[in-house]
Amino acid sequence: MNGFLYGVILQWKLDLRSRTMLITCYAVPLLFFGVMGGIFTAVMPESRETLIQSMSVFAVTMGALIGLPPSLVEIYRSDVKNAYQANGVPLSLGLILCNMSAFVHLLIMGAVLYGAAPVLFDARLPERPEVYFGGLAVLTAVSLGVASVIGLAVKDTANASMISILLFLPSTMLSGIMFPREMLPEVFTAAGKLFPAAWGYELMTAPAVSLRTLGPLLGIFLAACAACGVLLRRIRTR
Amino acid sequence: MTNALEVRGLRKRYGEKAVLKGIDLCVRRGDIFALLGVNGAGKTTALACIEGLRRYDAGSISVNGRMGIQLQSAALPAHIKGGEAVELFARWNRRTADAGMLAALGAGDMAGRQYREMSTGQKRRLHLALALICGPDIVFLDEPTAGLDVEGRSALHRYIRDLKAEGKTIVLASHDMAEVESLCDSIAILRGGEIAFAGTVTELTERIGKHYDIHVRTDQGSQTYASDHIEVSLAAILKSCREHHAVIQDIRVDRGSLEQHFLRIAKGE
Repeated sequence: MNGFLYGVILQWKLDLRSRTMLITCYAVPLLFFGVMGGIFTAVMPESRETLIQSMSVFAVTMGALIGLPPSLVEIYRSDVKNAYQANGVPLSLGLILCNMSAFVHLLIMGAVLYGAAPVLFDARLPERPEVYFGGLAVLTAVSLGVASVIGLAVKDTANASMISILLFLPSTMLSGIMFPREMLPEVFTAAGKLFPAAWGYELMTAPAVSLRTLGPLLGIFLAACAACGVLLRRIRTR
Repeated sequence: MTNALEVRGLRKRYGEKAVLKGIDLCVRRGDIFALLGVNGAGKTTALACIEGLRRYDAGSISVNGRMGIQLQSAALPAHIKGGEAVELFARWNRRTADAGMLAALGAGDMAGRQYREMSTGQKRRLHLALALICGPDIVFLDEPTAGLDVEGRSALHRYIRDLKAEGKTIVLASHDMAEVESLCDSIAILRGGEIAFAGTVTELTERIGKHYDIHVRTDQGSQTYASDHIEVSLAAILKSCREHHAVIQDIRVDRGSLEQHFLRIAKGE
């Protein structure tokens, strides 16, 4: 097993040991799913049609935006990065490993929701599972990209938490997972489209993948990757 | 003998402040070399430039061999275990993790312990183990014994001597003069970004070793005399005692410790 693969598995283990990732990737989304799933389906029975997708969007947005930045701050705003540099490990490795590990954790959470929602709340399974899981993977990658920018840009975990919550709240509220976006004033609908959650939800609930929803997500992802590149370079020369 | 490290005219500025003003260094292969200086003298910057961790403005640095670096300010993720860290860095450097290395450093019990649970000394030993994983020819150690207890310090000194016996070159920054005196073949003292002294410990003591403190105890009391010419001073002291009818009970001559010599040079006295 080479160093990279060992690093991926190790990071996965470290995330399991870290309460932050466990709470944000599993505990809170499951709690939200348990409580809100019951409320949604009782108040709006038609929400069963998209319960899996809406809960998945919440879980991914929560796990990525709230869970990832502290891990990155721990590496890049501390002496951990010195240990990496001194021992010949590329500075980008921490970013890549944290992203890969979080990606797998969030996909697992999506799969848990996919299996549990029909059993617990009689939720309807997506007609095309490949569209759901494809959309979930895309949304997870894009959300982690945005979270990475936060994690690399902020100076400490307190700032990371503040900015993450400032992004997380509108992202989920305006995405359409709580209530139909058609009920929102136009300005909020437009604002919601600035965040990946709205596009991800649309992608996962659409009957087929379309460039109209995939394009903005790809754009956000590429912009996030470019920003991460710039931030890593700044960290390296700091 | 080939040099392991050669530095010529190294210059580095932080804004308007010149931290390194053209330093020259030469470390022979297989030597233990110490870079000394008071806080702010520029030794951390010099080491960081040599290690390739910081850019420099001018000069040349030639390191002949693979480097292993133990920084004073380094950390690992809180939940990583010692053994996992060793394994990760070993695999990344395409080396086999040596289970005996942690044990040799007196840190065998760290393999299963998370980084956040380790003491300062244990962390320091783990970082040293990580620095040695790549099988370096030249090892940079920044304050290697800071935070270590007597046993840990002694184990580390033994390990450093073993590394030298294996033919490795050691470059260390230290404030511990006893450590430098007992371990090092050669030293350089930085003062205000310039090399104030470069040579062996013996050369340093010879250079300013003509300064003596003469402690005299008589039946009339004790007194210490500073002297640069011991024969003249002793004769004068004896004469003075005779004139004052003082009975000499004890005379002790101190040549001055390495620390005193270091401070004189480092502070430009």
